[in-house]
Amino acid sequence: MNKITTRSQLIPSSGRRKPVDWFTVINTAFLIIAAIICILPLIHIIAVSFSSSSAASAGYVKLWPVDFTWSSYEYTASREQFWRSMLVSIERIAIGTPLTLFLITLAAYPLSKESHVFRFRAVYAWVFFITMLFHGGLIPTYITVKELGLLDSIWALALPNAVAVFSVVLLLNFFREVPKELEEAAFMDGASYWTTLWRIYVPISKPALATLALFSMVEHWNHWFDGLIYMGSPSNYPLQSYLQTIVIQQNLMNVTREELMSLAEVSDRTLKASQIFLGSMPIILAYPFLQKYFVKGIVLGSVKG
Amino acid sequence: MKEFNPKGKMLKLSTLLLASTLVFSACSGNNGNNGNVAAPNGNTNSSTETPVESNNGPMTKYDPPIEVSMVRNLSDVVENNVLSVLDGETFEDNRWSRVYEDQLGIKITYDWVIKGNPDSDQYKQKLNVTLASGELPDVTPVDAVQLKQLVDADLVEDMTEYYDQFASPLLKDILAQEGPAPFDAATYNGKLMAIPQTGSNMESGMYLWVRTDWLKNLGLQPPKTMSDARKISQAFAKDDPDKNGVDDTYGLVATKDLWGGFGGLEGFMAGYNAYPNIWLENDSGKLEYGSIQPEIRTALLALQDMAKNGELDKEFGIKDGGKVSEDIASGKIGMNYGQQWNSIWPLQLNVNNDPEAQWQAFPIVSDITDHTSVKVPLQFTTTKFFAVRKGVENPEAVIKLFNMHVEKNWGETAEFDKYYAPPEAESVWQLSPVQPAPPKKNVEAFRAIDAARIANDFSTLEGEAKTIQEKIEAYESGSEEGFALWGWERIYSAEGSMGIADQYDKNNQYLLDKFVGAPTPTMVERQSTLEKLQNEVFVKIILGEPIDTFDKFVEDWTNLGGEQITQEVNEWYATTK
Amino acid sequence: MNIKKFRREVPLHFMLLPGLIFIIIFSYIPMGGLVIAFQKFIPAKGLFGDQKWIGLDNFRYVFELPSFTQIVWNTLYISSLKLILGLIFPIIFAILLNELKSQLVKRSIQTTIYLPYFLSWVVLGGILIDILSPSKGIINQIITSFDIEPIFFLGSNDWFPVTLVLSDVWKNFGYGTIVYLAAITGIDPGLYEAATMDGANRWHKAWHITIPGMRMVIVLLAVLSLGQLLNAGFDQVFNLYSPQVYESGDILDTFVYRIGLLDAQYGVATAVGFFKSIVSFILISVSYFFAYRVAKYRIF
Repeated sequence: MNKITTRSQLIPSSGRRKPVDWFTVINTAFLIIAAIICILPLIHIIAVSFSSSSAASAGYVKLWPVDFTWSSYEYTASREQFWRSMLVSIERIAIGTPLTLFLITLAAYPLSKESHVFRFRAVYAWVFFITMLFHGGLIPTYITVKELGLLDSIWALALPNAVAVFSVVLLLNFFREVPKELEEAAFMDGASYWTTLWRIYVPISKPALATLALFSMVEHWNHWFDGLIYMGSPSNYPLQSYLQTIVIQQNLMNVTREELMSLAEVSDRTLKASQIFLGSMPIILAYPFLQKYFVKGIVLGSVKG
Repeated sequence: MKEFNPKGKMLKLSTLLLASTLVFSACSGNNGNNGNVAAPNGNTNSSTETPVESNNGPMTKYDPPIEVSMVRNLSDVVENNVLSVLDGETFEDNRWSRVYEDQLGIKITYDWVIKGNPDSDQYKQKLNVTLASGELPDVTPVDAVQLKQLVDADLVEDMTEYYDQFASPLLKDILAQEGPAPFDAATYNGKLMAIPQTGSNMESGMYLWVRTDWLKNLGLQPPKTMSDARKISQAFAKDDPDKNGVDDTYGLVATKDLWGGFGGLEGFMAGYNAYPNIWLENDSGKLEYGSIQPEIRTALLALQDMAKNGELDKEFGIKDGGKVSEDIASGKIGMNYGQQWNSIWPLQLNVNNDPEAQWQAFPIVSDITDHTSVKVPLQFTTTKFFAVRKGVENPEAVIKLFNMHVEKNWGETAEFDKYYAPPEAESVWQLSPVQPAPPKKNVEAFRAIDAARIANDFSTLEGEAKTIQEKIEAYESGSEEGFALWGWERIYSAEGSMGIADQYDKNNQYLLDKFVGAPTPTMVERQSTLEKLQNEVFVKIILGEPIDTFDKFVEDWTNLGGEQITQEVNEWYATTK
Repeated sequence: MNIKKFRREVPLHFMLLPGLIFIIIFSYIPMGGLVIAFQKFIPAKGLFGDQKWIGLDNFRYVFELPSFTQIVWNTLYISSLKLILGLIFPIIFAILLNELKSQLVKRSIQTTIYLPYFLSWVVLGGILIDILSPSKGIINQIITSFDIEPIFFLGSNDWFPVTLVLSDVWKNFGYGTIVYLAAITGIDPGLYEAATMDGANRWHKAWHITIPGMRMVIVLLAVLSLGQLLNAGFDQVFNLYSPQVYESGDILDTFVYRIGLLDAQYGVATAVGFFKSIVSFILISVSYFFAYRVAKYRIF
């Protein structure tokens, strides 16, 4: 029990060297190397985007631009449609993500209760879960969206997948980890389920909610197929739908000379690269911004006291 | 959602029939003077006893104007190279839509527009989804498979009479230029069920493109026979043709897809009288599939040899055309079988990186016959058909659009610089929803330019020929802009690929795929399995597997549905005779 | 007593209502379209049109196609490997990352590792062909410096599945790490303090505190991945495969893509989708009940 205090502990800079923490060194090195490997492809793409067309087409560009030029960015920046579609994507997220968060929070809370508190819980849970497994397919979904009059509107992009059941399941599990005492204390103070949810569970679950918000944003940003199918004209496309036609593999089987023009010019590698880069930057930056929510649960400590 | 009410439709249809019979019979006295060609636009039936809503001429204007709904793809070319350059014109409202509205009284509306190429997966999916939701527009561009669906579901008009009656002579002439195949493809039970937008089969012809500067470096002559080509390929792979002291070059282009407009091996195999992927007529008048014939075996062995010898990139099996183009651009390959446009892409990339490089197209070669008799296999390229929804008020409207399109580009009142290719935006003609074109127009352009070259007088050139000649001159001027047009010079100059097309045509070397019908039932079920098997086996053989794998493949192909398909194909063939 | 209990539960029912409405409209109503799996579906006739009912024929057709067994095997093999490695690797990474003291380094690494997730396989395909090239690729250059024969990763049936799995794990682990890190954040720091005082080292803490703290998320993701067992990753395979590796690389989805969609055989495509759903359903149900019986743990 008696803590022995050595001189070196009292005087930190007394010359005795700390033993090398090998683990931290190796760990840090390993993690940094992994991070570098992950960033290399993006660096390659950026390098291509700043290179000349001919150098890029010959595969000369590795990690540094060859024949540096801004022309691909000039071209992309002048493409009105590129920016308009980026706005559509942003609009989609602005509507879709808050909606999703709201819906999944509301759904996860009841589902996280125990069966004796909430009978039929299991039934509801399966009802929700089955939608993750069974799908009617493109045609029925399209017809549904169409009959609701949502075609060619932002709602066709924001609504259909608003209830992300995967997120509901994740969130309900997080909710279950919240100490029961918190809820009981609230009930004793006369709080209802609703109040408890929003005043207690939600603030504690910030890391989980931030994660799910990120997932929702990324899904919306990356989704391209629905944009192509539900939008009636290219001017309403979200960004990835717009890029899809540029970045997909070119099928060379039936190319006529006329279509060739687009091969040669528009799908020029440096253009593709600049569009890919600009097209993923916004969403990539979302994570660092959300990281401040990934902090340790503040309230947990208060229960013990 | 539209209800499929058969009874209601019958009523509507019979009313229509009755009405049109009246109009037709009333007009019969008139056919003499306006069934004729270069009828100038806006020609209305004046001097007759026919009713006022006269739409009985190929280019008679509708008064009052009518609306025709369609669906459409917006290609990258149109968006980036045309619309972005033209002021005051949009996809819905541009010079072509205006011509159709002003001179034909046809206003075109689009139910939807999808970005991409007309045969992209997305277009197909979107169209299928539209069909399934029961919302066919008035006129729909479809492929053969979709047309068959529509015909089977009885959703489209029989266009036989309409075409006969309303197609202008110019149009009839143009669409028939390469034979009746496009119409056969759209004919069911003897009736024409859609208007084909004829592609140009000729354009799928193959040429042997060779790095002539490498030939010079090695003191070799251009190839006239397959043995020549083999020798050249070997030399390109082994003898350091780019003189850089490094063993980094290959002989022949090959891609993982094996076939196609760039780097496809069809041209090579044709030199062995082997014609994969198409249907050929044998001596007894029956159709056989080219991919299982014994000649393919020989061709594969030759390729195997070449691969063993290092003349093919060892990794070709995992690289698609886009990836392989890197090797062209970086000057690693010297021989390429490809279509006439290869010099524009990807060969231009090579020249951009290495101005000393030079490519030239040669006729495909063979050891079996002289190169002037080698059969050049052609794919059937009519893949777009304009189907008209049954019950539409004016089914012939689409034909009039066709008439106007060819008239404005190649007819007597043609304004090429305005409607086809003005200098500032080359592909203006793509603004039109219908784009029929004379299949032989490229060769004709070449012939015109060639004649002018010989006579040393280019002033007589007009239309497309003139625009192309200007490109060639730009290149020859040595200017930097001109340099980007090197590809065009390689197609239309005296050494150009088009000149070879001209020869192929004159020598009657073309061998067209004989099966042009919609996929047969077994084809629908088995084709992709068989194709996968074929490509897998071929690639493996080229990369070294023993040649008996080919014999097994022929057996498998036959048993896994090939026999059935052959039967069905021949049944179809019999109906076209 | 019952009425009181019911009244107590009413708010909970109401809370579920919005979500329910959405899934009824956008998931259950379209689910009716599963009938397509039993029809010879022709889009032109319309969804409610006169489609021919052919019962289980679509299923029979697919099951009897040559190489079907091979394809299902490929799918299961690739997908199981992806599942296992795709689970383990982010967990380990999250734990290691958690050990870092510097928030700055930690955050920067977190951001960089999730970058590959955003690159499409179209783009990565081209890059992988270069890196993995037997003659010029950097990986093989490293391999040959150890006197080993170069490996044709993308072109050999022995290596292709492994290549698929490893590249997929690399692409996705950063994204998965996010979830695990969020879970770790939720662990009571007091537990770690107590352990330190008891003399535990970092390995003890990881094993006895961190992993159990993530247990819920791990099991959850494991079970959900299990439901994806027949989805081996269409996008990736489609962009990376080639005739040479069809044998080991062709999966259910690429297979269906070719026969179902290219030829507009929607009935067949829907049938295969239905088949996959049923298998997933069985797998998940089994794991759900297993987890409940054995560990008293309800997955959802």
